[in-house]
Formats: sequence, structure tokens, C-alpha cells
Amino acid sequence: MNQDLYTAAMNTAAGTLLLSAVLVVWRRELRAMVMLLACQGVALAALPVVDGIAHASAEVIGVGVAILALRGAILPAVLLRLVARRGPARRGPARRESAPVVGTSLSLLITALLTVTAFAITRPIVLLQATVGSMAVPVSFALILIGIQVMATRRRALSQTVGFLMVDNGITSAAFLLTSGVPLVVELGASLDVLFVTLVLGLLARQVQAHFGDSDVGRLRELRD
Amino acid sequence: MGTATSAGYGSCVTDMTSLLVLPVAAPVAAAVFAAVCRNRRLNAAVAAAAALAIGACGLLLAVARGSGPVLALGGLLRADALTAVMLVVIGSVGAPAAWAGIGYVDQEVAAGHTTPRRVRLYGVLVPTFLAAMATAVSAANIGVMWAAIEATTIVTAFLVGHRGGRAAVEAAWKYVVICSVGIAVALLGTVLVYFAAVQAGIPASHALDIDTLLAHATALDPAVLRVAAGLMVIGFGAKAGLVPFHTWLADAHSQAPAPVSALMSGVLLAVGFSAVLRVKPVVDLAVGGGYLRTALLVVGLATVAVAALMLLVQRDFKRMLAYSSMENLGVIAVAAAVGTPLAVAALLWQVLAHGMGKTVLFLSAGQIQSAHGSSALAAVHGVLSRSRLVGASFAVGIAVVVAVPPFAIFGSMIAVGRSMTEVGLGWVLAVQGTLMVVAFAALASRTVGMLLGEPEPSAPAITTPRSISLALVIGIAACLALGLSAGLLAGLFRDAGLMLAGVR
Amino acid sequence: MTILAMVAPAAQVVGVLLGAPLVAGVMRQVRARLEGRVGAGVGQPWRDLKKHLRKQSMTPSGTTVVFSLAPAVVAGSALLIAAIVPLVTTFSPLDRIADLFAVVGLLLIGTVAMALGGLDTGTAFGGMGASRGITIAALAEPTILLSVFALSLPAGSSNLGVIVAATAHDPWTVLSVPGALAFVALLTVIVAETGRLPVDNPSTHLELTMIHEAMELEYAGPRLALIEWASAMRLTVLLALLANLFAPWGIAGAGAGVGGFLLAAVLIAAKVAVLALVLGGIEVFVAKLRLFRVPELLAGSFVLALLAVTTSSFFASAVG
Repeated sequence: MNQDLYTAAMNTAAGTLLLSAVLVVWRRELRAMVMLLACQGVALAALPVVDGIAHASAEVIGVGVAILALRGAILPAVLLRLVARRGPARRGPARRESAPVVGTSLSLLITALLTVTAFAITRPIVLLQATVGSMAVPVSFALILIGIQVMATRRRALSQTVGFLMVDNGITSAAFLLTSGVPLVVELGASLDVLFVTLVLGLLARQVQAHFGDSDVGRLRELRD
Repeated sequence: MGTATSAGYGSCVTDMTSLLVLPVAAPVAAAVFAAVCRNRRLNAAVAAAAALAIGACGLLLAVARGSGPVLALGGLLRADALTAVMLVVIGSVGAPAAWAGIGYVDQEVAAGHTTPRRVRLYGVLVPTFLAAMATAVSAANIGVMWAAIEATTIVTAFLVGHRGGRAAVEAAWKYVVICSVGIAVALLGTVLVYFAAVQAGIPASHALDIDTLLAHATALDPAVLRVAAGLMVIGFGAKAGLVPFHTWLADAHSQAPAPVSALMSGVLLAVGFSAVLRVKPVVDLAVGGGYLRTALLVVGLATVAVAALMLLVQRDFKRMLAYSSMENLGVIAVAAAVGTPLAVAALLWQVLAHGMGKTVLFLSAGQIQSAHGSSALAAVHGVLSRSRLVGASFAVGIAVVVAVPPFAIFGSMIAVGRSMTEVGLGWVLAVQGTLMVVAFAALASRTVGMLLGEPEPSAPAITTPRSISLALVIGIAACLALGLSAGLLAGLFRDAGLMLAGVR
Repeated sequence: MTILAMVAPAAQVVGVLLGAPLVAGVMRQVRARLEGRVGAGVGQPWRDLKKHLRKQSMTPSGTTVVFSLAPAVVAGSALLIAAIVPLVTTFSPLDRIADLFAVVGLLLIGTVAMALGGLDTGTAFGGMGASRGITIAALAEPTILLSVFALSLPAGSSNLGVIVAATAHDPWTVLSVPGALAFVALLTVIVAETGRLPVDNPSTHLELTMIHEAMELEYAGPRLALIEWASAMRLTVLLALLANLFAPWGIAGAGAGVGGFLLAAVLIAAKVAVLALVLGGIEVFVAKLRLFRVPELLAGSFVLALLAVTTSSFFASAVG
């Protein structure tokens, strides 16, 4: 593969990762957030696929395809089922993040600050190994920070799950960009864990809804000291 | 203290393999059995047997261990002194807790609180939980260790929410969200360790193996490892109930069924912390001992402080026990920071003693709670006059966890305190001592209020199913025995201390 | 400096003058077709302009010279931008003033003139439209500035000609983290700045929502024609600039001949046509945002642009 094309493809994938993260902060419709998460999954899968094609490594391409299946299709599908489950009767508020803890404009500002922070703290890593891949490591860290921000500032169970998956996407991309992926057994364990955590969070979200009449986890205030 | 190690046993490779595989395989088999068999009492007995098998393997490993680590299953599993200690802890808490599950489920069924599906789920998840913890402590690869610890979160999610109702669902949600984020942070740390290892020229397939990392620790990039170690302390610390991701702990412990609370408080927290102990020698070699010492001191003292303050304002006895676990884990983290062989040996002793004490405490607290239908402190008086066994168990358990002699934690405190003055951390001893006195006062006064005094005439009777009585009696006996002598385990603790002690 | 290069700015001005109404026509026609209507045809804006130009010019009583001059200033600023930005060639005699800051300044002059024209009538709608228009401009202009600035960092100059030439020389540089962020930011503000959906609906006269239409409500005849024409020109120039910043294939360089210039002219026309088609198509599927969500949209694009600058400077310094 042409070096320029390789660089461009890796950079585009990294750019899409960051862009989708910012857009998740921007949007409030749950469905749109899940769709953006799926886009992010595809961009994440593109990293190993491009790398695999460039280095003619079938194994790396295989990892990419597996990531695509899990993060681009299965996990978003699980979440979409949750959105759909709310039923047509509760069209409006249940499908939107109607009252986030922080307003959209301020959230975006925080996102900007977090991204700048991510770029600042990863400077040593990039300087240690200035390759096309590690140049995008700041994006991974930004993804992690933005994911935590989404978890902290959104109140719907589903939005928090999206935030968690963004954190995980960030870590996976960091693992990939830094080292072309962790050993297969670890990758497998991590992927399975993520899948199960998502399923568990989905089931718990349904229980929260059943018990509290809403998926607003801000209402979880029974337990306190 | 006698010596129990001998290099001669290291050659018995086949025996060692089965000792390593059994702790994982036995609970898995028990889980499969529970999925097939419909007799829930038999299932619980099998789970308890599996836990006993784990503990027995730990003891046998302690006796038959060679000087170095033992590998099995193509290098996937690995045992050393720390593994043996942790397996003993899992076994000694897991067996009574799993056995007490019989009584717990009986009570739930009798009260009509549960459905057959939930009962079965409980039967499958408890041994699975044991298997995940056994895997975590005997993994040869910190990536696999991470995955196993994350698996404990998934398995316990439904156990925490098992009693149903708003509060239980809320606790489960907070538990899964906070622990998943914490553990994700630890994954990032693991990835960075891998990055540093690959940069140092270690072949990728072995780059996360503990032995390989130990052998090449000095070649790892200190800057990257510093970031990685910080992330891992925070991340695995979340599972150990350490600050800053500690907020799940009180909610989950107070809402989970009593046997599950015992398992989580007694073992799961310790397993989470054992992950920190696992990576500590590598980090110490790579970046010097001062870095993790500072990190653990800060985290540990903060945890003790938060726990002591929360104990002061506590109005719920299960939450009180949860904060006492936090306090103990904070003390353990500080002991790890001190890092002398004596301190590390003492902290492992404390881990075991705390596990046993908390088992007795949570099981007896569970009986008080089910009698009163709530866990509010204000309603409970005169437990001792209503049920001698439950009252005595609670008293013994509290005495264990607040380090009253002759119980083991007192001895461990003395040892850690001596180490602190040796390494010039006298001020830590003073701060921690003050906080522990606060915690002691809070726990003791509330316990006296619960156990003594005249019960109101309307106060319900406290009944104890036979299975739980048995678990309580065995637990009390074990607490006393461990306090009087570490016996067979003394050599094991000493070896583990030497192995994990920090670099000066 | 060849004669051809001297002619280029003039050609750009003429091309934009003639082509702008057609761009507006294409977008309307795409929308009509996608909505299942026959549509008035691509030439309809031109026919409208001719009709307006034939009409009498009305000046509401009480208005001042500001009202009469505003359309000319709007159109003049748009034409000046058309003359200086690198559309056909990166090598023009006006290149020295084809600075990114100059272009943003000229855009702002047009916006302010339009707002003053609306205010001068003293009607409720004029004032309301002016206030809304200025609010959007205040958020949109810094975003344009930042996102073009992000693109200018790799080239090391804020001169648009240099930026476009650098991208033409090495087309892959645009496909990068800052490139992707800047593209989305720029596209969003162009939509806002030219009053398209979802920020403003150019085909409505609903009092509560209109922005641009509110400001030109009192205009009639040739002045209205001039305003309509100018707003089409702003859209066309910005789309052409967007096309050349991200896909400058075929733009004429320093040594290009007649053929090169003609090819460049055809290509830029084609690129703008494609962008117009795409935008027109998208507009069918989006609803107008509520007015108080518009600042949110623009804040988002501003953040994207800010991130583009951050990442761009990061990569520039990491490589350098």
C-alpha cells in the first residue's frame, strides 16, 4: 500500500473517531448517539484493517473484522434494541437526553478542554515513538476522557452505557495504535467482557426502568449515607 | 513460626498442574452442575465443596511449593506464594459463604421474595464468581488477570441485585458502572505496560507475562510505566474499594444478599488489591520504590480517612460493615506502601483474618436484617439476649476487624507499625492510628448498642437456619485459631512478603 | 506574471456573477425534485432577478442613506471576495491580499451592512432579523477563522493561495484529524452564514423563524435583486472556497496555459455544482432548528474548529 494513502487512511480513521466522540456530546437523541457509536466502531475497526492491508497481515485484518462485528454491529444493535423497547407510546422524552446535568454548549466546551488535555498528556508517548499510529494516540486518550465526561454528565441509562463504550473504544484504539494490538488471548477476554458488561448494563437499565418508571439514573437516590 | 518450604517439591510438575487447574476447574464444574441440577441445597453444598477444594489447593501449594513460581496449562496459569495465600483466602471465605447460601435461599423462598429462576441464577453465579476470582489470582498474564477481575464484576452484578426492589437495582447499577469504568482505567494501564514491554524488545506473545516482566523490569521505560502504574492503582483500586472509585462499595454491600456481601467484602476486595500487589514488584524495579509507595500511601490513607468519617455518621449496620471493609483495605494499602517483607507478610495475614471476620459478620448481620426487615441501626437492640449465636458471632467479627487482641489483625497491626518506624514513616503510623481509633470508637459504640440492652417487647425473634449456624460456628473457630497461630501459613506469609517486598 | 493570471480575477468575478443564481437554482430544483415537484427550473433565480430589476425601486419613508447603500455594500463585498480567493488559479495579482483574515473581514462587512439595512427601516421584523443575523455571525465568523487557520498551519501561511497550493501539491494532507474536524466545522458555518437549513429557511416568510428574510422585508425592485444576487454569490464563493481547500485538484498553478485555466474553471464549476446538489439534497431531510438551539450548533462547530487548530498545531510540532 502506498505510504501516503496509508497515512491518510489512518488519519481519517482517527479523525472520524474524534469527530464521532464530539458529535455524541453534541447530540441528545439516544438513537443518534447509538448510531454515532456505531460509526465510531467502524472507524475503530478501520485502524487494524488498514494496518493489516499495509503490512499484508491476515491476522491483523481478522482482528479488524472481529472488532467491526462487535463494535460496529453487535453492541450498537444491543443498544438500539433498548431504545426500541421503550415503545411507541413514550416517543418523546424517553428517547432523548432531555435534561442532562450540563447543557450542550458547556459540555462541548468541556469536551474541547478534555481533548486539549489529552493532547498535552500524551506528548511523551508520541515523542517516544513518532509513527503514523502513535501520532493518533492523543485521539484515543481524548476518546477516553470524553467517554467519562458523557458518563458523568448524562442521566439516561443508555447514554451512560454509550459513554462506557466510548471509554472502551478509546482504550482499544490506544492498544492498537501503540502496539498493533495486545495479545490475542487478552483481546479476546477484553472483548467478551465488554460484550457482557453491555448486556448486563442493558438488563439493569430495563430493571431500573421497571422499578423507577424511567431510565433516568439521576433518580437513583434511594441509597445514601 | 515454622518453615514449610522446601525446594524438593518443585519437581513434582504433574501434581502442581492439577493443584493449579483445580481451583479454576472445580468451581466451573460446580456452576455447570448447578445449571443442570434442580436441587438447590445440593448445588450449594457442591459450591461449598468447590470452595473447599480451592482452599485445599492453596494449602497444598503452600506446602509443596518450590522456590520459584509454578506454571501450568502452557504458561496460562501461574502460582507463587501470593497465589497460594489468595487461594486460601478464597477457600476459607467461599466455603462458609456458599454453604450459608442454603439458609439464605430457604428464607427468601419461604418469604416469597424470589422466583425459581432467580434461585437457579444464584446457584450458578456463586461458583462462577469463585472461579473468576481463582482465575484472577492464578493468572500468569496480567492481561488475563485483568479479564478475570472484570468478569467478577459481570458475575456479581446480578448477585448484588438479587434481592430485587428499587434499592437493590440501584446498587447493582452503580456497582457495575463504577467498577467497569475503574477496571477500564486498569486496562489502559495494562495496555501501557504492554507498550513499554514491546518497546523494550520483549516478544509480543510474552510481553504481559509476570515472570517476563519481572526479568526485564529494569529495561522498561520509566515514564510510561509511571503512568501505567498510576492507572492500575486507581483501576484495580476500584475493585478493592479504594479512593477515588469507592462509592459503589457501601451500596453494593448493603444491598447484596448476606453470603454475597461476605464474599465481596472478604475476598473480592482482596483479589482486587492482589492485582496491585502483582504489578508492584515490576513497577518498583522499573521506576524505583518511591513512586508506588507515595501513590499507595495517598490512596490508602485517604481511604481510611473516608471510611472512618463515614463510620461516624452511619445509621445502617450493613453499610457500617462495608465502611469497615474499606477501612481495612485502606490499612492494607498503607502496609503495602511500607513494603518491608514483614509488612507485606502482615498485610496478607490481615487479608485472611479480615475475610474470615467479615464472613461471620455479614452472615450474622444478614440474620438480624431478615428478622427486622431492615438494616437500620436504630431499630436493633438486645441481639445477644434474643440469639446467643448471632450476637456472639457479631461481637467476635467486630473484634476481629477492629484489631482487638487476640485476633490476627492486632498482630498484623503491630508488625506493620514496627515496619513503619523502621522505614521512617512514623507520621503515617500516627495519622493512621488516629483514624483507626475514630473507626474503632464508632464501630464499638454502635455494636454495643445493637448487641446489649433490653430488646423492645415487640422486637422480632432472630432465627438461624442450621446451615448458617454451622457456617457461623466454623467461622468463629477459624477466627480464633488464626489469631492464636498462623501455623502452617506462617512460612507462606513470610515467603510472600520476601517476594513482594518493595525496593528501597 | 502572465496576462492570463491578470485576467483570472476578472474571470472569477464574472463567473461568480453569472453562476451564483444558477447555484441557487440548482439547490431549489434538487429540493423540488426530491419533494416530488416538477420545480421551476435551474434558471428561475435569473428570471426572478430580471423581474426585480425591471421594477421600481421603493424607499420606505424615514429610512436613511444606510438603507439605500446596504445592498451595494453587500454585493460589493461578495464580489471582492470572489475576486481575491483562489478559485481558478493560486497565482493571481491579488494574491497578496487573498489573506484568510481579509476574507473573513469582508464577509463580516457584508453581514453588518445587511443588518444595518434591516435596522434602518425601524420595523419590528428588520430589527429582529438584524439581531438574529448578528448573533449568528458573531458565532460563525470565529469558526471560519479557526478552521481555515487549522488548515493553514501545515502550509505555514495564512494566505489562501499558499494554503490551496500546498494542498494541491500534497492532496493527502487534508485527510487527517484536523482536516476532518475543520471540514465539518466549515461546512456547518457556511450553512449558517448563508442562511440555509437547518439554521434559516430561505423559502419561508414565517415571522417567528426568519432571519435573513426579515432583514430584506422592506426592500423591493433592483435593491432586492442586488441583495438576492449577493447572497447567492456569498454561498457560491464559500462553497467554491470549501471545494478548493479540501479538493484543489486541477486548480491552475503558476505556469498553467490557457488550457489549464479553462480546465480549472470547468472543474471548479463542477465541484460547486456537486456541492450544491449535495447540500440541496440534504436540506430536504433536515428540519429547521429552533432558534435557541442554533447557538448550540454553532458552538459545536466552533469546538470542532478549535480542536482542529489544536490537533493541527500538535501534529505540526510533533513532526517538526
